[in-house]
Amino acid sequence: MTIHAQIDPQWAWSPVQPDEWTLRKAAHLYRRGGFSASAEQLSQATRLTPHEAVRGLIEATEESTTQYETLANSVLATGNADNLTAWWMYRLLHTAAPLREKLTLFWHGHFATSAEKVTDSQLMYQQNVLLREHALGNFGALLHEISRDPAMLLYLDSASNRKAHPNENYAREIMELFCLGEGNYTEQDIRELARCFTGWEVRAKRFRFNRYQHDNGEKTIFGQTGDFSGDDGIDLVLAQPSGPEFLCTKLVKFFVADEPSPSTELIAPLAQEFRDSGLQIRSVIDRILNSNYFFSEQVIGRKVRSPVEYAVGLLRTLEGSTNFYDLAARLDDLGQKLFFPPNVKGWEGGRTWINSSTLLARANLVRDLLDREETRFAGGGMVDLCDKHELKSPAEVVDWLQANLLAVELSPDVRSGLVRKLESGTEPRERRLRQVVYLICTMPEFQLS
Amino acid sequence: MQFTRRDFLGLTVTGSAIYGLGSTAPRFLAHAAERAGEQDRVLVVIQLSGGNDGLNTVIPFRHDVYRKSRPQLALAADRVLKIDDELGFHPELTGLARLLEAGELAIVQGVGYPNPNRSHFESMDIWHTCQRKTDQRLDGWLGRAIDRLQHEPSSDAIALHLGEKKQPFALTSQHWRVPSVRSLEQFRLQGNQETQAQTIKQLVESKRSNSSDLLDFVQSSTATAVDVSQRFDQIGKSYQPKAEYPESALGQKLKTVAQLIDAGLSTRIYYVEVDGFDTHAQQAPAHESLLREVGNALAAFTTDMGGQGQGDRVLSVCFSEFGRRVQENASSGTDHGTAGPMILAGAKVKAGLIGEHPSLTDLEQGDLKFHTDFRQVYAGILEQWLECESPSILGGEFEPVSLIDG
Repeated sequence: MTIHAQIDPQWAWSPVQPDEWTLRKAAHLYRRGGFSASAEQLSQATRLTPHEAVRGLIEATEESTTQYETLANSVLATGNADNLTAWWMYRLLHTAAPLREKLTLFWHGHFATSAEKVTDSQLMYQQNVLLREHALGNFGALLHEISRDPAMLLYLDSASNRKAHPNENYAREIMELFCLGEGNYTEQDIRELARCFTGWEVRAKRFRFNRYQHDNGEKTIFGQTGDFSGDDGIDLVLAQPSGPEFLCTKLVKFFVADEPSPSTELIAPLAQEFRDSGLQIRSVIDRILNSNYFFSEQVIGRKVRSPVEYAVGLLRTLEGSTNFYDLAARLDDLGQKLFFPPNVKGWEGGRTWINSSTLLARANLVRDLLDREETRFAGGGMVDLCDKHELKSPAEVVDWLQANLLAVELSPDVRSGLVRKLESGTEPRERRLRQVVYLICTMPEFQLS
Repeated sequence: MQFTRRDFLGLTVTGSAIYGLGSTAPRFLAHAAERAGEQDRVLVVIQLSGGNDGLNTVIPFRHDVYRKSRPQLALAADRVLKIDDELGFHPELTGLARLLEAGELAIVQGVGYPNPNRSHFESMDIWHTCQRKTDQRLDGWLGRAIDRLQHEPSSDAIALHLGEKKQPFALTSQHWRVPSVRSLEQFRLQGNQETQAQTIKQLVESKRSNSSDLLDFVQSSTATAVDVSQRFDQIGKSYQPKAEYPESALGQKLKTVAQLIDAGLSTRIYYVEVDGFDTHAQQAPAHESLLREVGNALAAFTTDMGGQGQGDRVLSVCFSEFGRRVQENASSGTDHGTAGPMILAGAKVKAGLIGEHPSLTDLEQGDLKFHTDFRQVYAGILEQWLECESPSILGGEFEPVSLIDG
């Protein structure tokens, strides 16, 4: 339980040595820092140093965003937020900037806002654009922006926050969930901060400050007194010492390991870096992804794949394409419907992704994917994918799938069981190949990242 | 017609023991399941997530403070369903009023805990684990109860979570994986290969050489999932509800629970959730519809259980992580508060009000003061219903509230 406690923080966050850079580690980097990659991308990455590969991920940009924007406009025209879910799935499947998308997903879970309550897809989309823009930017700027984001204001009821009776919802969540963590503020701080946000409204789908509803009186927050505005209140929260620790802990859980919760000592160097950089998200991500610890055996395979990582990762690895509307709709059964986080805390992740229903749903998603004619691999069938990569014998196929898909190696028994499935049977080779992919996806190993 | 458990005993073993995997778990347990018998009592936990407004559930309709604190939200005396001269149910709780009249409903008032936490997540964790944040939380109170109730693998999972969301912490056990089931229809492996489930099971259960804690967890969870799905394939189609269930999500979940109980599962604990009680804004319409959902579903379920001849062995209990502030806010809603009522239903409950309504004049920071610790209610459930000793489960001695008749 105390693996982290024994880790030397100095060693942990020092840059990893470029030797011993393998396909396995490149696959790890792309699984965690993106949504997995094709064998071709991985082999390109192995020709770089790990630090070059990380820089490539951090600096990647989309060649063109036209296709995403065109698709967004057409799904927004339907007014159905379910289509927006499909839109993001499409982008995740095709993106050339996977780390930015991964962080956009992180911030979506962090500043969780659900279309269930907001009901306006346009506003949900705008928030997604905002999160993507600031994904690797300055946290302070992001917090100021998200605090006046119409979808957020509607979701946390701040849009109806009046002078006479402040609504505490946003004030509570900005401290508890967005910046500081439970226990780092008092109920009094929440009540006073709520007064700062009075008069922050949404009118005609835009943020508006209603000065008639703003409480201009003196407020005392964290022991400081003044006639603070909403922005002053946000700055007071940002200045709290517990913030960088809180955020770095969450980033480490997301990118490095679900459990156990990292120790204060382990987080301290990252938090210091974050503070020193003036809360630049990129600095922390850069440090994490380049580190000894990130590439260590204590970390590879020690996270549960999220549903999005599970589905998108499978398709990106196998150069797959499918009906992304149907795929997006199925993700709900796995417990992660984009734009519909379960509550203000977002997706908890880790072991909570796994239960008997979500496991069956994972298996059924892949079953459905593989049974569909429209699902393609490298533009054709699994047979074509195998030909492309010159995989001939059943053992070659299983080993290739294993190396590209799995963070944790299969046991010899399971491996030979799969090879036998591929060797024997009266079914056509394409069906047997798909069945083996299916079985791998149902294995406990494939649930880990 | 009752579908007897013998019809499918020995078909599969569900609820795999965590420690039973890899090595072959004993699979003979037909007689053990039989011995567990149809007499064992069942607990159904209904979680009202988001913080239910207790004051507008069991309403002190005559009280000045109530009316003055809630110019928008107070319900007038002529609208409430009177329980006595002072208190009444929300008008949408006709289902509960009916149960109360039938002597099948108990309301424990003023339930909470010291130093209340107003964070949904923290407070929910406290209710689930009976531990504070500073304690090391490894399992939930029901998980610990499960560990006392079951010592060997059985043909049915000892507890089931019916829901589409993440599994409640309360059900986390040291020794058993509790299955989460979204719906009976969804809960099966798709595909036309009959041997598919068997193949997966075989591969999943084969021994791992590079095992880690996390891999073990996923491995045993997968084995449980396949087991339970095979078991549910065998569930009889003979169930005929003896009450009309509402179409609501809770109504349908409780109907599923009824179907499983009727099918003779030896499962002792069922867990369901209703979300949406976090009514910060425009509370009235949302709260009305939630209470209607809870009241009608619970009434249908309790009536159905009675009609199936199962009434004496089923107890349902509703709780929420906190109540809401006495004073309403500017958005015609209420913010996070503290104490609230717990509601229990079943043929065996000690019907009526238990404990006083919390004072509306003696408040703490605008919030009601609790007088009954939730762990006292848990103690009552554990000792009087599930018949296990409570102190080791609750982490201390709590005077049980007397909940059960006779």
